[in-house]
Amino acid sequence: MFAIKPLISMFVLLFAPSLLAATFTFTAIPDEDESQLRTRFDKVAVYLEEKLGVEVKYVPVKSYSAAVTAFRNNQVQLAWFGGLSGVQARRLVPGSDAIAQGYEDQFFKSYFIAHHSTEIIADDSFPNLNGYTFTFGSKDSTSGRLMPQFFIERNLGKRPEDIFKRIGFSGDHSRTIAQVQAGVYQVGAVNYKVWESALAAGKIDLNKVDVIWTTPTYPDYQWTVRAGVDETFGEGFKARVEAALLGMTDTDLLKSFPRKSFVPAENQDYEPIENVAKTIGLID
Amino acid sequence: MPDLVRMSSIPRHAFFGYWQKVTLILLGVTMACFYWADTEIIALEPWSELQRIALGFLSPDFLATEYLLEAVWQTISFALLGVAAGLLLGAPVALFYNKPLVAAACAFIRSIHELFWALLFLQVFGLSPLTGVLAIALPYGATFARVFSDILQQAPVYTLQNLPANTDKVSRYIYGRFAHVMNEIKAYVRYRFECALRSSAILGFVGMPTLGFYLESAFRQGHYHQGAALLILFIIMIGSIPYWCRAKLLPLYFIAAVWLLPDITTIDGSLVWRFLSDDILPPMFQSHSIDLLFNDKWRLFAQWLYDIVTEQALPGILATVLLAVAALGFSYLLALLMTTFSFKPLTGAFITRLNNFILLILRSIPEYILAYIFMLLLGPSMLPAIIALAIHNGALVAYLTARQSSTTTFSQHFNGKIDGYAYDILPRIYPNMMALLFYRFEVILRETAILGMLGVATLGFYIDSNFSEIRFNGALVLIGATALLNILIDIASRKLLVNGSLSHKPC
Amino acid sequence: MLDIIDFSLSFGDKKALDSICLSIESGEKVAIIGSSGSGKSTLIRYIYEQLQGSAAYCSQQQGLVESLSVFHNIYMGALGRNAAVYNLFNLAFPFKKPLQEVTTIANSLALDCPISQTVSQLSGGQRQRTAVGRAIYQKMPIFIGDEPFSALDPVMGKRLISLVLQQHQSVIMVLHDMDMALQHFDRVIGLRDGKKCIDTCASGLSAEMLQAFYEGSSIDTDEALGSDTIA
Repeated sequence: MFAIKPLISMFVLLFAPSLLAATFTFTAIPDEDESQLRTRFDKVAVYLEEKLGVEVKYVPVKSYSAAVTAFRNNQVQLAWFGGLSGVQARRLVPGSDAIAQGYEDQFFKSYFIAHHSTEIIADDSFPNLNGYTFTFGSKDSTSGRLMPQFFIERNLGKRPEDIFKRIGFSGDHSRTIAQVQAGVYQVGAVNYKVWESALAAGKIDLNKVDVIWTTPTYPDYQWTVRAGVDETFGEGFKARVEAALLGMTDTDLLKSFPRKSFVPAENQDYEPIENVAKTIGLID
Repeated sequence: MPDLVRMSSIPRHAFFGYWQKVTLILLGVTMACFYWADTEIIALEPWSELQRIALGFLSPDFLATEYLLEAVWQTISFALLGVAAGLLLGAPVALFYNKPLVAAACAFIRSIHELFWALLFLQVFGLSPLTGVLAIALPYGATFARVFSDILQQAPVYTLQNLPANTDKVSRYIYGRFAHVMNEIKAYVRYRFECALRSSAILGFVGMPTLGFYLESAFRQGHYHQGAALLILFIIMIGSIPYWCRAKLLPLYFIAAVWLLPDITTIDGSLVWRFLSDDILPPMFQSHSIDLLFNDKWRLFAQWLYDIVTEQALPGILATVLLAVAALGFSYLLALLMTTFSFKPLTGAFITRLNNFILLILRSIPEYILAYIFMLLLGPSMLPAIIALAIHNGALVAYLTARQSSTTTFSQHFNGKIDGYAYDILPRIYPNMMALLFYRFEVILRETAILGMLGVATLGFYIDSNFSEIRFNGALVLIGATALLNILIDIASRKLLVNGSLSHKPC
Repeated sequence: MLDIIDFSLSFGDKKALDSICLSIESGEKVAIIGSSGSGKSTLIRYIYEQLQGSAAYCSQQQGLVESLSVFHNIYMGALGRNAAVYNLFNLAFPFKKPLQEVTTIANSLALDCPISQTVSQLSGGQRQRTAVGRAIYQKMPIFIGDEPFSALDPVMGKRLISLVLQQHQSVIMVLHDMDMALQHFDRVIGLRDGKKCIDTCASGLSAEMLQAFYEGSSIDTDEALGSDTIA
């Protein structure tokens, strides 16, 4: 089944590279459950194809930085980015715009979770984390790294390496939960949505691990469209993409992200994220 | 009586030979590194997670992975094309390997892990199959160049003397030298193909559409039923190589691999140029940087470089070396033990077979997965990484040595017991085992990179951080440091083996 | 055909050849004798180097390729006659003509194994005949051999030496077997400690001369000199 297609596209590539540009390509990594990516997002591609009238293709990627690279190299023209990766992408491709965000992403938050042996009690004020071991999520995650690190530095006035006995990057929110629950790390920071669905799925034993602090809200995931799509796909294409995303009501499609719905967004919504990233030195 | 007197005057240490010394030094250095390395045991309650992992292996879910057959095929296809391209690159270079510049260039290319090559090519070629194939072909080509040149050097020269004087160069080379070592080269290429399958799978970790893509996601996100299924599939794939990888079928596979290559996305020349001319330059020299005075630029550059070296490169090198040496020592112990177990006349058919099966499993499981499981058990120190590396490499060395020991002719007095083994078999296979082990050290050093991605603060950790922060310039400096470290250690281990002049030293 | 004037060669501080003067005419059959370490192999190697292009050489070490068949090993004698592409093809798919020619040679050498057999499976005698076959297949006017028949029984050795003599205009050969040297060759050269002690026609060589020649040289079994490392 996958025999003929690449061959054709190789010929197309050799003789008429401009034809390829007619395919509108997007990528997305959901913040939880990365299984069956292609099966799930091919449905989204079909939906967009209907709405936009051009061929739409989904490309699976492994990490936010890979998504940013693909976006920068024009291998994808639309991406479902995290807060930080969106900022990075728009800095690298000037003229690109955030056009929609998840309903939940307007007031996203992270949880700080702790193993019961730490005996830290949940409280509104920031806990004293000096001397504990701590794990972030993946290095380029907004909710698992950027914002938690920012709040740690702001509240404790020191760099994380001066606060914690040991710092880890679990690479994934589910893994952060697993590691803190096992006591591998004493404290961790995790995306609140992932925590809540893990809790609902019965993967969390609240006697072993629990939330000790909740961050203030911040903007997170958003759709960013690349500069120049109007030239390639016709006048008003960007607006049509935006309309198609905002008009996505099929819960089966929304479940893939997973978001309740999409709402309008613009670049300046993410200025706080950019400033935070600059403050802690993740971008120059 | 005079004879007796003379005998007793031979000092004991005269019996303490070259390999005894090497072994003692190895163990001593290992202990020292183990002492300095961070080996604290921390985990408190790993059991619920381990139970989930165990459940995953008890009921693996083979249907949970989408496009599974495609992923299996892509794993094979990248390995096949990568090795083929590596042969095309490496075989001709082997003829010039005696030139120091060529050897140095090859050592440099070899010393960078496939994953890093892939990360670099990703920036230029994107998620095109070219990225995956090149990431395998380049380091494999450099390895082929070195190994072929070593093998060819051992080819007897007498044949050349007996050839007609007017024989042309090509025929002289092919009949007089290459024909001698053809079988050895074939066997080596076959072995490297197994390695390439592993490499190909691991490239999935950074986004190539191979088994590793799904394997990593599944284990990272705790989908252990799916992860276990993929791991079992992968082990079966490696274990069954002798059955499906027949010389006659290879051309067929090769054509299929080219034919079924996934879409090649357009390669934009300007991307390549931008990457080479701008992305990898230090920030103050990049085109979008603010205008600065020439002197200021260099001052900033010095500061930038100093920060990278002191905050990332040096701590990274220290951790890498500690980790690698400790892992080497434990690999040695494990290899020694496992080799003994797989010697049939000593342990019997059943234990040998069981042991060989265990060896297959241990050497096939990516270190990354092993390290993760041990991390849950032992906590986030270097210990899980050390054990993971030791198990993987110890099993591999044991597997290769056991192949030799099974064909070793031993004396008819062999008593079938452990002392007989130590007198009769071990001395025959020991030099080879040590040579393999020291060769593996280079590989262990490179593999610390993957564990860096798991969070052990080796050079790989810092390189991964730079890539995820989209700082290619920093990543490149660190990759350079990695290469340099590898080359230094390569030179040192070569000296050790040459001084011991492997082929002439008795045990 | 060959003139060697006052030639010396040393390895380290040991003299392998000491002021050798020697000339050989075309058509001569020359045997070189001497005890181990006397410099025979070094001399024959040197002679071969002088005659390269018109001589086939069969060294003591044989230099057979273990993993190739008898056919391919003998065919290597023809490498110089054919183009590289032809040789490469023949490695994978043997051509008819060389197959026939090599079969003929194998038969005349009384090689009793199929020529498709790999050399690693041959006996010592079969190997030596394969090596001789390779030299014969070079079809050169001169044959230069370094004890090419040492592993063969006397009957077979005699048979092959006649074959070699009959197929070549000139033959220069290091020999171990004194009878063979006297019987088949018309000139005998004796070496001792790198010096030429005997150079006479075979018929003029008396038993006393031989006795004196061997007694004068202490039996030197030190092979460390490695007379074949000259290359």
